[in-house]
Amino acid sequence: MNPHENDNRLPGGFTAEIATDLAAGRVVDLAEVYALNAVDDAERAAIESYLASAPAADRDAFSERVRQARETLATSFTAEEEPPPGLLDRIMSSLPAQAAQPSPAAAPLPGTGPQTPPVMPHPVRDNSGMAATDELGAARKRREERRRPQGMRNWLVGVAAAAVIALGGVGVGAYVANQNDPLNQVLQASDVRQATVDVNGGGTATVSVSPSRDAAVVRMNGVPAPPVGKVYQMWLIPKDGSAPVSQGLMDAEALSKPAVVKGIGSAAALGITVEPAGGSAKPTLPTVAAAPLNA
Amino acid sequence: MDTPNAPNPEAAAPAGTSADINGRLGSLLGLIAQGDQAAFAEFYSLTSRRVFGMARRVLIDTELSEDTTQEVFLQVWQNAAKFNPAAGSPLAWLMTISHRRAVDKVRSSQSSTDREAKYGASSQEIDHDSVSDEVGSRLEAEAVVRCLETLTDTQQESVRLAYYGGLTYREVAERLNAAVPTIKSRIRDGLIRLKTCLGVS
Repeated sequence: MNPHENDNRLPGGFTAEIATDLAAGRVVDLAEVYALNAVDDAERAAIESYLASAPAADRDAFSERVRQARETLATSFTAEEEPPPGLLDRIMSSLPAQAAQPSPAAAPLPGTGPQTPPVMPHPVRDNSGMAATDELGAARKRREERRRPQGMRNWLVGVAAAAVIALGGVGVGAYVANQNDPLNQVLQASDVRQATVDVNGGGTATVSVSPSRDAAVVRMNGVPAPPVGKVYQMWLIPKDGSAPVSQGLMDAEALSKPAVVKGIGSAAALGITVEPAGGSAKPTLPTVAAAPLNA
Repeated sequence: MDTPNAPNPEAAAPAGTSADINGRLGSLLGLIAQGDQAAFAEFYSLTSRRVFGMARRVLIDTELSEDTTQEVFLQVWQNAAKFNPAAGSPLAWLMTISHRRAVDKVRSSQSSTDREAKYGASSQEIDHDSVSDEVGSRLEAEAVVRCLETLTDTQQESVRLAYYGGLTYREVAERLNAAVPTIKSRIRDGLIRLKTCLGVS
């Protein structure tokens, strides 16, 4: 087909709603709009869920059109600007170990998969930051942030806000496995204490702390899967006020399993944030849960 | 001219073209997947101007753009092993990650009114992207300019508003005071025409 001949086609067969386009069997024609990210989250999810049960031929045609559109965009829109000096150093110094990455099955299209509602709808820099669009305002804000210890800016708020902490010597009977594994060593330690904290977005996190084992076990209860493209990341907040230390990432699958966090003796609290897939070097999004350790 | 899938006359990939760069980026991704930090630093030096440049166009704010760039490269580090050459070139993979992240960030941090206002201020220079001394790269940039001219003005405008403005098709329609189905077809037809002209296969 000659694309020029399509120009007079009345509005290209599209309707006003993505859902109606899909119902009319036009999913493949949405490939370009999808590749351009010109749909909102709900529409993206609708397209992906439609594709999941669409005939293989439609899925393949859609993927091929998306791939070509992405190549076209990468070739055509080539704005360049020198990033700030020192950014590479900051990134390099923060690279997490690759082994820590839980790897969900590779999807044919980035972002394809079941959509879950975001746990944290707002990133930490909200309108207050964006109101200062002028360079001076942004520069001033950066200077202010540099004066604070690295990575602490979001944390102090989160830990203080974790108001309802239930502490008690709760017995643990649920975990029965090898008594010598680190998990059970903590849970069956004579000095184990438990705290359950609410997780913003739903569910709770139960933290079992054993000072004698210098470790804690974190178990998420009824916590929704992280939004697409995001993971939960666990941090220990050192007592000495230094930057939080990442304890690893939890994707949807890892959420159902208890996690062991070691070296809690020097930590004042444990926190959980929502971070971009792959994790962050320092907490960048608001805290969804925090628990004092008192180890 | 309009034969779909016509071979790209510039496909021989002289130094400085994206095909040439993609070859190197693909090798680097293989090394990065094994934890090679030197390869990561080289990947950054080859691509960070593109990633940051895109983030600045979409987000305007320098600090948000810097955060986005950092997140994109952390994702490169973590996901290099998942890069699949069959699903696209390294540059398209990287810019897809970058655009999605920039768009997510701009939509969660700014109202669409703010974005449209800011986009107006930044959209002036878009025709002058990609200034390079490399001969191959210059030829490629000229092909892009030539191919963009094969789009109608309204197609160009719709694609650009969506790409650098971070707008949804619905927001583009509101901004241009056009019917929603019309914008969807402009985006589809514009990108397909651009693809055909550039010989993207």
